[in-house]
Amino acid sequence: VTRVAYALVAPLCALTLFACRGRDSAQPEPIAASPAQSAAAPESQETAPLAKATVTLYFPSAAGDMLAVETREIVDTKRPADRGAQIVAMLIDGPETDGALPAVPPGTTLRRLWVRDDGNAYADFSEELLAGANAGSSDEILTVYAIVDSLAANVPAIRKVAILVAGRERDTFGHLDISRPLSPDLSLAAAAAASPKE
Amino acid sequence: MTSLRPFLLAVAVGTAALAADPVPVKIATDASGASTRVVLTFAKKVSCAVAEDPGHVKIRCDDPVAADPATGKLDDAILDRFATEGDRTIVLSTGRGFRSVDTFALKNPFRLVIDLQGSRSAKAVPVPAVPAKALPVIVIDPGHGGVETGAVGPSGLQEKDLTLDLARRLKAVLERQGATVVLTRDEDRVLPLDDRTAIANHNRAILFISIHLNASKRTTAVGAETYFLSTSATDAEARTLAGLENKAYEPPDAQPKAEGGPPGHDLELILWDLAQNSFLVESSKLAEAIQSELNAATGVRDRGVRQAPFRVLMGATMPAILIEAGFISNPEEEARFKDDAYKDKVVEAIARAVASITARP
Repeated sequence: VTRVAYALVAPLCALTLFACRGRDSAQPEPIAASPAQSAAAPESQETAPLAKATVTLYFPSAAGDMLAVETREIVDTKRPADRGAQIVAMLIDGPETDGALPAVPPGTTLRRLWVRDDGNAYADFSEELLAGANAGSSDEILTVYAIVDSLAANVPAIRKVAILVAGRERDTFGHLDISRPLSPDLSLAAAAAASPKE
Repeated sequence: MTSLRPFLLAVAVGTAALAADPVPVKIATDASGASTRVVLTFAKKVSCAVAEDPGHVKIRCDDPVAADPATGKLDDAILDRFATEGDRTIVLSTGRGFRSVDTFALKNPFRLVIDLQGSRSAKAVPVPAVPAKALPVIVIDPGHGGVETGAVGPSGLQEKDLTLDLARRLKAVLERQGATVVLTRDEDRVLPLDDRTAIANHNRAILFISIHLNASKRTTAVGAETYFLSTSATDAEARTLAGLENKAYEPPDAQPKAEGGPPGHDLELILWDLAQNSFLVESSKLAEAIQSELNAATGVRDRGVRQAPFRVLMGATMPAILIEAGFISNPEEEARFKDDAYKDKVVEAIARAVASITARP
């Protein structure tokens, strides 16, 4: 049991460190943690084995122009940003089934992810995310909504998702307006859920 | 029987109170074009009369109205400001450049569109001018351009070239139908998305048609689809909220946006988003008409009418749609788009849909 707990905690710490990378300036963290969030004990201080939570990930479907669904398990952390970072890390690692395609271009990393009290999540990706920019709107829509839907559907505190690249807001990847947080579009996923096999 | 009287009295008072409830009216203005456009979006149909006074254009409504915002100052040579007078009149205070007013109404939701014609000699707008009393303008937007090639097909066909080719063909067909057509670009050059919408607004277009070709990592993907703006993208309240949220958002490692929007950028975007929100019903009808004509004419896979937050549609002050005419990532579909007869078939289908929409009384 102890080994299992370690195995779960280790990647989580790595994620937390990773999410904090680049925060080397003297400025304070801009996103004030909600009282509920600050009250939550840091994961490392928890003594009981960490529970798991089942999440639904959305990847571009290999068969159609919809989002394919994959079910995964994450560590059941309380902080929305930690849950979000785990989900995005799984999206970056790619799908496990043949029916799904990678959601982001190879080499893409998550620089930071944070969630504000108003329900907006900010996912800041590396430049590699732009590799698919200015091509077809179909792939662009599926990449954007794989990220937005996976976060909004699995983290109750997240209502909308803003996608940043290398710390900056962008107006667009070529077609969609991504200058502000996007609401999930579960119609792309609902159809996929209705016909999971092609 | 006497016991009924207080009850009847209460009903009478109740209906009187209901009748006095003002009808909410959203006011949006756009002074970026050659004329200044005011769109009044009513929560329900109210009959109003538009009258010209020296220095003012007054919209007098039969029922009380509650304007949002109640007042506004534009500092525009054609429309200086607007305000409410009493509970039934909206007053547009015109500027020195004002000459005349055109009004038309739209249904579902009920809207009054008021175009204030005039001139702003001080800040002339460098856009293709349309002759006075010209036919209604249709703006066609060939996607991408210049170094932004867009999608590229397996044999090298570039989206930016094909969109321009299709746009020129569509222009010719629509002009034969009697329309005046303006292309957002008629050469191979980069054109920012917001400029494309602005050209449609400047020209007071009645329709905005953006033409694109799709691409996917799945080379089996084929077919055409027509988009209009998603409602969530134009949710006025959400947008207002988002504007405020953006101001509060300052990550520690944030760098200013390279382009650096001017002050008041958020407010401007909110007004523009509202503008397309007023035309979503017409945009969806245009999209449906185009998609069904494309299906009938080409027989390729029907990917249907869809909604997404396309940036190029957001600021349009007229019905606006985006056509993804086919997947040039698919070898067979790419080959079809090298055939002049097929390209003509596609643009003629679009033109038939445009004719069916614009012919409506």
